[in-house]
Amino acid sequence: MVRIGVFICHCGTNIGGVVDVDDVVQFASGLEDVVFATGYRYMCSDPGGRLINDSIKEHELDRIVVAACSPRMHEPTFQAVLVDADLNPYCLEMANIREHCSWVHKNDVDEATRKSKDLVAMAVAKARTLEPLESYHKNVVHEALVIGGGIAGIQAALDLAESGRKVYLVEREPSIGGRMAQLDKTFPTLDCSSCILTPKMMDVSRNPNIELYTYSEVVDVEGSVGDFKVKIKRKPTYVDWDKCNGCGECALACRLKDRIPDEFNEKLGKRSAIYVPFQQAVPLKYTIDPNACLMLRLGKCGDSPPCKDVCTLDAIDYGQKESIVDVNVGTIIVATGYDMLDAAEMYEYGYSRSPDIITNLEFERLICSSGPTGGKMHRLSDGGEVKSVSFILCVGSRDKDLKDYCCRIGCMGALKHAYLLREHEGDGLEINICYTDIRSFGKGYEEFYGRIRDIETNFIRGRPSEIKVQDDGRLVYDVFDTTTQKLLQVTSDVVVLVPALVPRNGAEDLGRMVKISRGADGFFLESHPKLKPVDTSTDGIFIAGCCQGPKDIPDVVAQASGAASRANTILSKDVLASVSTVSVVNEDLCSGCGICAPVCDYGAIEIVEVADSDGKKIAEVDVALCKGCGVCASACPSGAMEQKGFKCEQLSAMIRAVSSRDS
Amino acid sequence: MTIVDLTSMAKPEEKQQDRVNVIVKALNEDVPGDCYQCGKCTSGCEAFILLELEPHKVMALSKSGFIDELLNSKVLWTCVTCMKCKERCPQNLAPVDVIFALKNVAVASGKQIHTGYSNMLQAVLGTGYIQKPKEVVGRENDTATRDGLGLPPLPQPKDMQKLQQALMKAATETLR
Amino acid sequence: MTRIGLYLGCLIPTEQYAYEMAIREVLPDFGMELVDVEGVACCGAPLRHINLSLTMYLSARNIALFEKDDLDMLAPCPYCHQAVSETKHVLDGNPELRKNVNAHLKEEGLTYRGTLRHYHLLDLLHDIVGVDRIKEKAKVSLEGLNIAAHYGCHLIRPNDIPRPDDSENPQKMETLLEAIGAKSDYYNEKLDCCGAHILLNESESALTKTGQKLQAVQKHGFSGLATMCPWGHRMFDSKQDSAAQTVGGSLDVPVIYYIQLLGLAMGKDPASLGMNLNRSPVDRLMAPREGV
Repeated sequence: MVRIGVFICHCGTNIGGVVDVDDVVQFASGLEDVVFATGYRYMCSDPGGRLINDSIKEHELDRIVVAACSPRMHEPTFQAVLVDADLNPYCLEMANIREHCSWVHKNDVDEATRKSKDLVAMAVAKARTLEPLESYHKNVVHEALVIGGGIAGIQAALDLAESGRKVYLVEREPSIGGRMAQLDKTFPTLDCSSCILTPKMMDVSRNPNIELYTYSEVVDVEGSVGDFKVKIKRKPTYVDWDKCNGCGECALACRLKDRIPDEFNEKLGKRSAIYVPFQQAVPLKYTIDPNACLMLRLGKCGDSPPCKDVCTLDAIDYGQKESIVDVNVGTIIVATGYDMLDAAEMYEYGYSRSPDIITNLEFERLICSSGPTGGKMHRLSDGGEVKSVSFILCVGSRDKDLKDYCCRIGCMGALKHAYLLREHEGDGLEINICYTDIRSFGKGYEEFYGRIRDIETNFIRGRPSEIKVQDDGRLVYDVFDTTTQKLLQVTSDVVVLVPALVPRNGAEDLGRMVKISRGADGFFLESHPKLKPVDTSTDGIFIAGCCQGPKDIPDVVAQASGAASRANTILSKDVLASVSTVSVVNEDLCSGCGICAPVCDYGAIEIVEVADSDGKKIAEVDVALCKGCGVCASACPSGAMEQKGFKCEQLSAMIRAVSSRDS
Repeated sequence: MTIVDLTSMAKPEEKQQDRVNVIVKALNEDVPGDCYQCGKCTSGCEAFILLELEPHKVMALSKSGFIDELLNSKVLWTCVTCMKCKERCPQNLAPVDVIFALKNVAVASGKQIHTGYSNMLQAVLGTGYIQKPKEVVGRENDTATRDGLGLPPLPQPKDMQKLQQALMKAATETLR
Repeated sequence: MTRIGLYLGCLIPTEQYAYEMAIREVLPDFGMELVDVEGVACCGAPLRHINLSLTMYLSARNIALFEKDDLDMLAPCPYCHQAVSETKHVLDGNPELRKNVNAHLKEEGLTYRGTLRHYHLLDLLHDIVGVDRIKEKAKVSLEGLNIAAHYGCHLIRPNDIPRPDDSENPQKMETLLEAIGAKSDYYNEKLDCCGAHILLNESESALTKTGQKLQAVQKHGFSGLATMCPWGHRMFDSKQDSAAQTVGGSLDVPVIYYIQLLGLAMGKDPASLGMNLNRSPVDRLMAPREGV
């Protein structure tokens, strides 16, 4: 005989404004085994918790039903209340009368109230069947994995390493540094990007707690929070990095020197087949591009490959194979960064029709003194002089056909570029910025915008419809300036398009591998947009930087430190309470068919032979690994596998309760 | 609404706005609310340079409810229906369709339209076509007629009266 | 022979006879039997300013007539084609409106079902007939001709409903021109409007647009301009002289329907393609034919 207490939350007007809570309270009081029922405005608050606690004591309640929001929201909150009142937390059942009722049936209050009663009846029926469950614990591995070696990954790795944790930092390119390494200056301070980045890159290479894997990718992730088993694939560089000292003689000698379009310069510059992405690479070790190298593609390189000939350390190794490294970590931080939207998708802007129509990242490489043109502007089509440059903002951003979100950094980036152009090329150059809104929201940003307005930049508030290429190669477009209400025709030598930002290619596959969700915009989804910006739907996995959404460097660094801090809340523990609603096998019913084992995502089920039997096999659940997802129970054909807290008879009771109600 | 345009003393007209929006929505288009005035439509408008049509301004005035000003404006009738505005709008709006809706409301409110248009309507009501087969002149100043060229007779609606009645009903009842 | 219903609209059968003649002459060679459907009327596009419901009704009515005879529709006029596409898009997405229109159609004994498949010449020739079959039949060489493609606004826009080609980078006409041996350069003014829609009330501006595009075509050095729209052809061909006067320049551009050019490439008698009805100097396009 149980003594059930039913607590119904108004949730302000979220529930109370639609559902007749008093009516539901009265209904609940009349249910069998319900000893006490009441309503309250905000059940999750402190007074709400005290109300439950006091009622438990006063009415000697031993099973609690809370009808409120989704358990995903506040189940832990109410479970803590039960523990405070010396009840087992699994004697709680929640009825979701908000997300599943009042929020979706706003226009039909009668039906919403009736449905709430259904849901409460079901919860009460379940509450009758609830049993206290024991908690299990698992050991936490005090090491961390960071995926992505841009500024986000670097910052997170350094924070974790400095707090004493061992960190594996995995980066897909041969060097860490990411997008920030490609920048010339950063807004609004105009710091040299490399100058502020490279010290951090050096810190990564020197920190004894960081094990750096570049030119590597994560290929498999198993396990769960506190204990992830990860496979890292080290792609072959065809150079023995234990021997290579980064002298660079190989690249100078390479038969394909200055012939391969290089990714670091957005294909505007050239490199050899054996290369480092940039001179400040960390690690400063050479890599052979297997798609370019003659030796690797064709089996021969002239009479003898020059790189091998000049390398005094005998570091070239064409036979090198990929290898897999297994690591065991307690948490993972994903920091995979961003790509640009392909500007050719907006065909009318001519990106594919003229080499002088470029993206802002390509422009960054051109204006950078260490870039392919030494920082000098000239027309890419014919090397001609540049007398006019136009920037077109929002190419594919704030666009329902392409990307409907704002890229956050486009406006500030263009202002920065205007400044750099004026600085490099002097007063003779015409600089035009076609904008819809200038978003200069951060610290020092508005002041910077003011500075750019002062250096004779033509701000045109309007958006061109199309860009045409004249016979002489110059670019011409019409744009209506809504401020002066004039249709202006602009002829420029270079047009810089500022495209939308999208997640890095490969992020989707990685997300599936680590099992974190993405939002409608394709970026990884945080647990809560306001209060949990770096957690994800999977415990123990955090996100940081632009892989969560476009943002500028200060926000990236702050978020990376935030993710490291969140990761430390797990790594600082020795054990974690693991799930109590684990699966359990009824040995009398189990035939050892083995259907359950492969469906378990966490490897928690093994089919074992029963001792002293005639080879009888049964399934066995490792409660330390079980996450309580219930898939095995639904896969089991005989009903031998059941999940504690969600057994057949418990769910059947709920169904009977609702189907026996009068409509 | 308490808004007044101090130049003309006009106020936003919600009823007129509704009449326009009903037509726009019936075409499966969004009403002008989402427009953020980027101006891409006007930048590419084929009628702007010669005839000063500013689609973004039509959208802004429609959004604010100054419909009479638009109904009385001649720019509505300068739209060449190139549809570049609809094609390129980043908010998937259709200034061309808002302009058509405004024209329809103008006609329904009794505004004068070009006789050419009413002639075409009369012709369709009478014969089902906007004009009768013409005699044309070729490059060498030779004349030709449909029958003379041996082309088959023009297909005709079987019952013109029924068509007229149906059209008149459709005109008043379909878009409310 | 595949049967396909021919819907000519108003302008083609009452004025742009060459277009109709060329269609009737050329398409049967590609296995198409053109069926004239009784009872059709204007598609309603010219009445859109007055009342959209008229356009919707008239197009729904034509669609219903074709559906009744279980025929696909070939609409060689892009105004008609777009009116049909849009009517389908609206009625298929708005059940209320569809019910309303069908209630009125019922008075004429018709029902709009929404099962019609309709084509313009562009997608019919490119997607259905196919470039290979066209190449096969093009026995007269058009080498040396560089023909500017004029698609026309109503043929390729708006792209939220299915159109015969891409709205920003249409290529089918160039492909079809290359299939009959002509070159077709890209030119900046390719997607510019002919101005037909405002000829009635703003004739000077309309003819200016026509003239400006022809001037660009002329300046680029094209041998001629190919059209797929009777309204555009009427501006560029029939009204080339007026356009020249309006822009104050001299215009001397051969303007030809693509289907006429295809017929010439197939060795057809120019008279059967209505070539004498083109007012622009199209003889220049036929000159290389002699002596081949």
